[in-house]
Amino acid sequence: MTASHINIANPVRALKRSAFTLPERTLSNLGVWERFDRKAIVARDVEMVFRSGTEPSLVLKGIDLDIPQGEIQLLMGPSGSGKTTLLSILAGILTPTAGSVCLLGQEITRMSKQQLSNFRLNNIGFIFQGFNLFPALTALENVEVALKVKGVRGTVARRDAHELLSQVGLEDRMNYLPRDLSGGQKQRVAIARALVGNPKLIMADEPTASLDSHSGHAVIELLRDLAKKGGRTVLIVTHDSRLIDVADRVAYLEDGILT
Amino acid sequence: MASIARKNLFEDIPRFIVAQAGIMFAVSLVTIQLGILDGFSRSTTRLIEQSDADLWVSSQEMLHLEVTLPIPLERLLQTRQVNGVERAEALISRSGVWLDSAGHIVPVKVWGFNPGGRLFGNWRMSQGSLSSLQEPYTFITDRSNLGALDLKQVSDVGKIVPLQAKLVGLSEDTQSMASSTSLFASLENANAFGGSGSGNLNCTIQAGQVECLSPLTRSTSPSSSEPPPPPRNLSLEDSISYVLVQAKPDQDLSELKKRLESALPNTRVHTKAEMVEITHTYWRKRTGVGFILGLGATVGVIVGMVVVSQILYSSVSDHIKEFGTLKAMGASDWVVYGVITEQALWMAVLGYVPSMALCLGLGAWTVATKGIVILITPGTAIAILGVTVIMCVGSALFAIQKVTHVDPAIVFKA
Repeated sequence: MTASHINIANPVRALKRSAFTLPERTLSNLGVWERFDRKAIVARDVEMVFRSGTEPSLVLKGIDLDIPQGEIQLLMGPSGSGKTTLLSILAGILTPTAGSVCLLGQEITRMSKQQLSNFRLNNIGFIFQGFNLFPALTALENVEVALKVKGVRGTVARRDAHELLSQVGLEDRMNYLPRDLSGGQKQRVAIARALVGNPKLIMADEPTASLDSHSGHAVIELLRDLAKKGGRTVLIVTHDSRLIDVADRVAYLEDGILT
Repeated sequence: MASIARKNLFEDIPRFIVAQAGIMFAVSLVTIQLGILDGFSRSTTRLIEQSDADLWVSSQEMLHLEVTLPIPLERLLQTRQVNGVERAEALISRSGVWLDSAGHIVPVKVWGFNPGGRLFGNWRMSQGSLSSLQEPYTFITDRSNLGALDLKQVSDVGKIVPLQAKLVGLSEDTQSMASSTSLFASLENANAFGGSGSGNLNCTIQAGQVECLSPLTRSTSPSSSEPPPPPRNLSLEDSISYVLVQAKPDQDLSELKKRLESALPNTRVHTKAEMVEITHTYWRKRTGVGFILGLGATVGVIVGMVVVSQILYSSVSDHIKEFGTLKAMGASDWVVYGVITEQALWMAVLGYVPSMALCLGLGAWTVATKGIVILITPGTAIAILGVTVIMCVGSALFAIQKVTHVDPAIVFKA
């Protein structure tokens, strides 16, 4: 079952999108594989089995998922449905027990650990529910660390970190430690960090779960800008129904099956 | 560029201080143990190193500097006849008993040499001069021995049982930590002090006071007003401990050594370096001293490793999600290892510097008050820095192990 055809909560919006995307495909007269290339994320028949004691547990059951480039895809579902496991697999952090995953036209399920690291480094930005910022580093330094990991150092790193934090509206909080920032500000630092290297894919795990309503809205707007202005594909695992308004597609996962 | 390692380290100051205290303790323990071992070894051979003798002639049975059998004085005269010898002087080593004014006895080692000679006694004098040793029944000793001998100053008098002996000078850096209190006297005085040693004494305790009689004196009681006769000159019948030899300029020492050994029956000839090595080896390997001090240093390293391991492991555990995030972002394991290793290096350096300062201060205090040298040479200091770095980086392996096996999926757990 492909999630790309799951209906979006806002049908008017969905209609507009279909009207926009369909002619493009038609005019291009793309073949199957060319169309495949236009997908940012393609998962086929993905299964994941965890072994707990002697009993194997099938957490994901034959997942198929297509996410076009430049769109916001929500992945929703109850707790324990396998959302985070699927996100980890789609991000190349976990290897599925069966099936294949293509990101940006490259099959990551065939990559070595090192190749996967390099792929993530160059193509994926991460946003986490718990922010995962280094508590001893300032906002600026947290972004600089991501730049350092990507090989950008010195004044260039500082300048780029400055620029990224300005983009998320934290010009006046750059030298604050995470403990001195609000939840929304922390998440914006995490978003700035995720933008390091201008990745084509953003993977977000419950980005608004730890935020109040106001901060949550700000982050939602930021994520929409990321996708629309930056042409990035954003995959969001969430329980937050407010995000449905900004999503292009929504997939529901229940008991390891996409519906 | 932000240093995660440094910032993580200083994030929790109280924990950092506790960690550094543990490292300081470990480094200080290692430094002090090694410093005492080196100071001890050095002190056992200071008299050899301070001498200008190229060769030392001893009995064949010599064990180390302070334990040897006597050789006849005749060997001194024979040595002077050997081709290639510039100068030869006798050295006597005798045991004795010091009796202080309070009636306490102290074992002493009396070294007799020629105060007008050139081959022995080339140490620094803090008070008095060697020429004063020409007077009868005089001696000098290391400044650090004043307390042990219950003496206050130069010109104080005590007894090298049963003879009265007058302190005429104080030397510096001449006391071996391994031996009895060393006293330095002329050959004649040392022969008298040693010849009247406790083995030939008839000592009794009367009213809490030790009273001894020897062949040289009729009585040691304060009421005896008759001064002992001046010590006699050494005769050929007397024995000495060593003949110190200075070779003529450009003389091949190994050739001279062979000539001396063939000319002097029942003796062995050692170069200065060999004498040092024999004495060092004896104290370090044939006694438990080297083992015990080495064990202390090893314990210090182990304690340091345990402390650093715990701190680093705990720090990594606290930040496991951040490290997982780095890995999820695509950072190689080496980036994460680099952070942990840098943290370990900071801990090593910040633990080492104050420890070394502490040990240098402690060493200055012990040498000034106890005469115990905690020897910290530049080489030792560098070696201990190396040990500290290895200790801290080695301790990081446990933390690295933890990070290596961290599941990157941990980053998605709230």
